[in-house]
Amino acid sequence: MAETKDVMIELKNIVVRFGDFEALHNINVDVRKGEFFTFLGPSGCGKTTTLRTITGFIEPVDGSVNVNGEDITHVPIEKRNIGIVFQSYALFPTMTVYDNIAFGLKIQKLGKAEVDRKVREIARKVDLSDEQLKKAVSQLSGGQQQRVAIARALVTGPAIICMDEPLSNLDAKLRVQLRNELKKMQRDFGITTIYVTHDQEEALTLSDRIAVFNKGFIEQIGTPNEVYNHSKTEFVCNFIGDINRIDGEIAAQMRLDAAKHHFVRLERVRVNRPKDESELQLSGVIESREYYGLYIKYYIAVAGQTIKAIEKNDGINIYEPGEKVTVGIHPADLMSYDAPKA
Amino acid sequence: MKKKASGLSLSMLWKVFGVAFFVYLFFGFMLLPCLNTLTQIFTAKNAAGQTDPLAVIRFFFAGNMPKFIWNSLKLAVCLVITVNIVGVSIVLLTEYFDIKGAKILRLGYMTTLIYSGVALVTGYLFLYDSDGILTTWLVKMFPNINKNWFSGFKAVLFTMTFACTSNHALFLRNAIRSIDYNTVEAARNMGAKPFQVLWKVVFPTLIPTLFSLTVMTFITGLCAMSAPTLLGYDSINPEIVRLAGSSSADEAFPQARAALLSIILAMFTIILLTVLSSYERKGHYLSVSKTKAKLVKQKITNPAANVLAHIYAYVLFVIYMTPVVMIVLFAFQNYSAIRSKTLSMDQWTLINFFGKQDFEFMTNRGKLKTRSGAISGLFANADTVGGIRLSFVLSAIAAGLACVIVVVAVNYIFKNKGKKRATVVEYCMLFPWLLPTILICYSYRTYFNSNDVWYVLNKNLYMRENVRFLIVMAYTVVKLPFALRMIKAAFYAIDDELEEAARNLGASNLVAFLRVKLPIVLPSVLAVFALNFNALFTEYDMSATFHSSYGKSYAMVIQNMCAEEGRDGYNVNASGRRCASTVFIMLVSGLILYLVYGVGARDLGERLERREKRRKRWAKLTGKAA
Repeated sequence: MAETKDVMIELKNIVVRFGDFEALHNINVDVRKGEFFTFLGPSGCGKTTTLRTITGFIEPVDGSVNVNGEDITHVPIEKRNIGIVFQSYALFPTMTVYDNIAFGLKIQKLGKAEVDRKVREIARKVDLSDEQLKKAVSQLSGGQQQRVAIARALVTGPAIICMDEPLSNLDAKLRVQLRNELKKMQRDFGITTIYVTHDQEEALTLSDRIAVFNKGFIEQIGTPNEVYNHSKTEFVCNFIGDINRIDGEIAAQMRLDAAKHHFVRLERVRVNRPKDESELQLSGVIESREYYGLYIKYYIAVAGQTIKAIEKNDGINIYEPGEKVTVGIHPADLMSYDAPKA
Repeated sequence: MKKKASGLSLSMLWKVFGVAFFVYLFFGFMLLPCLNTLTQIFTAKNAAGQTDPLAVIRFFFAGNMPKFIWNSLKLAVCLVITVNIVGVSIVLLTEYFDIKGAKILRLGYMTTLIYSGVALVTGYLFLYDSDGILTTWLVKMFPNINKNWFSGFKAVLFTMTFACTSNHALFLRNAIRSIDYNTVEAARNMGAKPFQVLWKVVFPTLIPTLFSLTVMTFITGLCAMSAPTLLGYDSINPEIVRLAGSSSADEAFPQARAALLSIILAMFTIILLTVLSSYERKGHYLSVSKTKAKLVKQKITNPAANVLAHIYAYVLFVIYMTPVVMIVLFAFQNYSAIRSKTLSMDQWTLINFFGKQDFEFMTNRGKLKTRSGAISGLFANADTVGGIRLSFVLSAIAAGLACVIVVVAVNYIFKNKGKKRATVVEYCMLFPWLLPTILICYSYRTYFNSNDVWYVLNKNLYMRENVRFLIVMAYTVVKLPFALRMIKAAFYAIDDELEEAARNLGASNLVAFLRVKLPIVLPSVLAVFALNFNALFTEYDMSATFHSSYGKSYAMVIQNMCAEEGRDGYNVNASGRRCASTVFIMLVSGLILYLVYGVGARDLGERLERREKRRKRWAKLTGKAA
């Protein structure tokens, strides 16, 4: 689905201002039909503002929002047919789970039988039992509440669903579990999804494409592989995943262009491996290590700077602090960017 | 497109109606009547018939008027001290320290919530008056004692001290309950002694609440009405009411002097509220804890202090409970038991509540006469039932109206957050807070007592049945600021995303408000309704100002029925009926508070759980029966 080139949502030159503050500067995004598209960035970068512009809560001062070729920039919120799952879920506390899901259908003035049929159908799809439908939302766990929020957003059959950091209120384990379910649900429903998050791991695992936001601009739009391995800007490179900056003596030994900033990902740093022809190999000392189970992260003192590296935990090659190791960096693994002008 | 246009015009119509209503309410029933009062002072005419702007002020300082101000200030200052001592004590004793029987004590201390205003003052009189129960007992034991010991400043201070702790019982209790116990544990862990913890950790977190309560208590003392009137103390408010009803044939500039006193009271109130709001703007001691621990009651480790604390707690309990218990007991005693202040099972009766009896009495000429129906129950006495009914209806309408106006206004304020128009609406709603109740009532009484006010269709609102409308308006306007503060706090609890979610699901602004926001704030709105209703039901100040045969509220009926007790064989059991009506009002107020705070405060989850339990219990019962 995600591979189709049909553009469903088109943001053209969107500018949003709050008083004197310009929150979005000329945002241009195309989201394809059935795509899982993520807005990624740090707090205050404009990702939620962009989402709220699409849903109609914010009206841009310039630019347009098009859905299926139709300009909806000035269409009222309730007429846009876009479902939303809020960060807080925004479940109505005075209503039962059933009434929460049925709310939109009742607003559409559907018959009682049809409302009931649709509510139960969607509840089944998101794995909510009949017993749970009778409960108050406060009686459900965080994960169940999230299912209710999704069911409520989907039950009216929207063309698009927007999710604003829907997993941020959950604990780590549940977050991973629901992440997988979310992706499966999205595939099953085939619905175009816009997902907002500041969590790079969430963005990389869920998305077909990602737009990385920074200070009201989009820095890069691309597939997870593109933004991770071929980051277009220094910001994207730094924001997505952990990274080593190569400078000082190491940069000199590698004869790197001093006018640029050079970075290498942790998993590309080779510890105690046989020397590759074109790589630079240096000796270092393990300063400390962090044990993650699946892998181990090392902090290695190399040529006056600390280089981070992660190694698979094979249970055999585990290095102790103070131990001498060799560190290999391949020039092809470096990502280089022009240094920002002072 | 057509549909959109009609929708737009409807919403515009609502907006125009809303704006017109607020403008009418603010200018018509807040600003203009009060400005009229202000002009009265400066348009008074001297003996030569000329307008003399300073005549009233000169007269004011030459006469005994400053005495009333001094008395009110003295009462307010003393009240702040005594109310805070008692108020803080009752909250600490029931919420912070581990005192045996705290639950019972709390109920006793909270009786003023259902037993306030004129009912409370007359209750105290019933005990401590020259022929009160306690005084009668004391006189029997000590014949030389002054029977009129319970009057004047001390009596007012004593009565109001216990009457004014309701706010402490509500708000300070909430503040102390929200203390993070981990902060207490941390202080103890660092070597602080229990008293140091109380003084250095607990008290500072209570200061904002205490400050607000202190200001409110000061204003209450300054504006005291029922206690000074009934217990005989010369303070500002009773004097305003007296002057308002006086004629210029009897004394110089009575109305203008009343207006001047009202304005002086308003100035004090404005200064105090300015101090309060500037303090509130400075911010509060907010807990930064993300995982608050529930406060655990502290044991008083020193045995002597523990015994003293228990004695103090129970002495307070007795003071709070005695009038209530006595009133309940004497509500079921006949008139002769009440007159002799003796409790007896032989004198047990329901006549103070239901039915009528004839009364036989000896005339001055020695003739035995029978007065038909002179002993009558609360529900059989037209006057009492009329007073209760009138107060009930007017209070309910006003409390409801205040809630509706404030809910609409607060919704508007939140929708226009940060905009000037929202600030304007908010300040307009808070305007009555700047003015003492008596000034508003006095202004209404003088301003609307004419046929020249065009915006009320040139009707004299002080005449005949119209006075009831005036009472409703006064009740409503006076309760707007309190309702605004409470309901605004409730609106803060609504997550903005809820309305957005409703809008996103297709709901219009109105539907989102009615079906999503209103149900969330409804428990708070009902609580405000209940508190306002209970306060208005037994309030005295406004009733006294608007007192007329068409506006005889419960407070005035109580006052009158006791003044006329037994005269010429009429109203023989007036005291008993007063006790019965107080019992009735306590039941009504208690029921309302229970419904609002007990039942209404439960969230949906709690209600569903209870329903489920009831269903299971019923199924079990019917299953057994089957």
